Amino acid sequence: MSLRVGSPVAGRVVALSAVPDPVFSQAMVGPGVAVDPLRSKADVVSPLDGTVVTLHPHAFVVAGTDGAAVLVHLGIDTVKRKGEGFELHVVKGEEVRAGQRIVTWDPAEVEAAGFAPICPVIALDASAEVLGGLALDTDVAANDALFAWSR
Amino acid sequence: MADEKAKKILEALGGADNIVEIEPCITRLRCELEDGSVVNEKALKALGAHGVMRSGNVVQVVVGPEADTIASDIEDLL
Repeated sequence: MSLRVGSPVAGRVVALSAVPDPVFSQAMVGPGVAVDPLRSKADVVSPLDGTVVTLHPHAFVVAGTDGAAVLVHLGIDTVKRKGEGFELHVVKGEEVRAGQRIVTWDPAEVEAAGFAPICPVIALDASAEVLGGLALDTDVAANDALFAWSR
Repeated sequence: MADEKAKKILEALGGADNIVEIEPCITRLRCELEDGSVVNEKALKALGAHGVMRSGNVVQVVVGPEADTIASDIEDLL
């Protein structure tokens, strides 16, 4: 089985090593990719079908039925925004479909406030070998495939 | 069980008296401490931390996605 993980945002797919935060760049919580988002107000969508198990204004985790959990982090250190500029459309525990909007934000505003708007998308607690087809160095629209996760 | 882990993490951070603030952020505990030098990094890693990042008295413990739960368990102990 292979789980398709879609992009939560539109932008340019880059390697995690480009993320200015060691937790992500060193894949401490799992492998994945990052998306450098287009700098305009946009909806952030779920990368997979599942349940919203963790929800912050600036980050969320969706877990699929088999337990595969994908973390999306909207910008770096954006916890310091304390929710400002993030409009949530779901609640914790809600079932969502891949491509369903989770939150609306504006990467340009985040960047103007002094934060890197890059978005790590992480296969939590996975090993790097189980990810394939990484869409590195391509431009994606929201919900386009980012990688396949062998389960 | 979970409370036991929170208790041990709290000990490794220098105990309740050393905590100024603990804030969870999805994958990590951001801890503002009275004294960052007393943090027991080895103990934190033994408790399952993926990494510990220090910047003076601000210490970030990377615990993975259960950070929210651990932080609220620690809050209960303060």
